[in-house]
Formats: sequence, structure tokens, C-alpha cells
Amino acid sequence: MNLNLFDDMEGLILRERENSLAMNTPQNSEVYRHGMSEFPENAPLAMAYVPFQQWGETYNPDNALECGTLFPNLVFSFRGGGDK
Amino acid sequence: MNEKNILMKKIQQYDFTLKELNLYLDTHPYCRNALAMFAKYRKLRESAVTEYTRKFGIITPEQNTNLESWDWIDDPFPWERS
Repeated sequence: MNLNLFDDMEGLILRERENSLAMNTPQNSEVYRHGMSEFPENAPLAMAYVPFQQWGETYNPDNALECGTLFPNLVFSFRGGGDK
Repeated sequence: MNEKNILMKKIQQYDFTLKELNLYLDTHPYCRNALAMFAKYRKLRESAVTEYTRKFGIITPEQNTNLESWDWIDDPFPWERS
């Protein structure tokens, strides 16, 4: 198993946070060029990750209250007991 | 829905949006997008509250500005208005 991925885990987390704090315009920001997250594509199994939220789409206040969040990225269709 | 309810619903929607932005800004304190949006909805909430209060009475006790009577106890209470 390739543990090199973890060598710079701290840097990775820092970059995630910096990206989210960056006041860059969308076209030249790291986030836009690399997608939502800087985490490695083949992240090792059994490790917990919490991708730092990045600014993105927002609902209008009407839909936000309806959906329970302002951010479409945070809407998950959790269904107790699966897809019954 | 009557005007009162529509206005109250609007205030609730603005409140929720502001709370969401509040939580986002706690971890992203320099995000200009969020800061601008917070300012925008703070103003909208403020004018919605002002309009509601003017037309239908105060929503919270600290909005009482009357120096002659305590309007807060005037019926109906905000949660009874519909």
C-alpha cells in the first residue's frame, strides 16, 4: 500500500482550507482547475476524510428553508433502510 | 396565504439563509461571496421585519418602542397570528 499519500496530509488539508479561503476569481482558482477537492483520486481505504467546503451554488431563501440547507452541495438523499 | 403569513414566511426564510451563511463564515471568514450575500440578506431581513412590525405588531419583546404601553402583551401573540 502506498503510504506516500499521507506524507503531505497536513499540507493537503492546509491547501484545501486555503483554497476555500482564497478570494481568487473562479477561472484562476485551484479549486476550479482541479474540481471540488484536492484529495488524491485513489485515497487509501479505511481512512476518514472531511473535504473542506468550497463556495459554490446557493439556493434562494425559499428553497433553502425547504431543503434545510443553503447549499445544493450539501443535499443528500439519505434513505433509512436503503432504496426500498 | 394572507399578507401577514407571507411576510412572516419571508422573514423565516431570510433568518435561515443568514444562519446558514453565519455557519459557513465561521469556517470561511474571508469568503467575499458569503460576506456579500450575508450583507444582502441582512438588509432584506431588516426591511421585511420593519414592514411586518409596522403592519402587524412586534415580533420580539425588544422591538417595543412605545414609552406609554408594553405592546408585547397585545393579543394575538406572533405565533397566534394567521
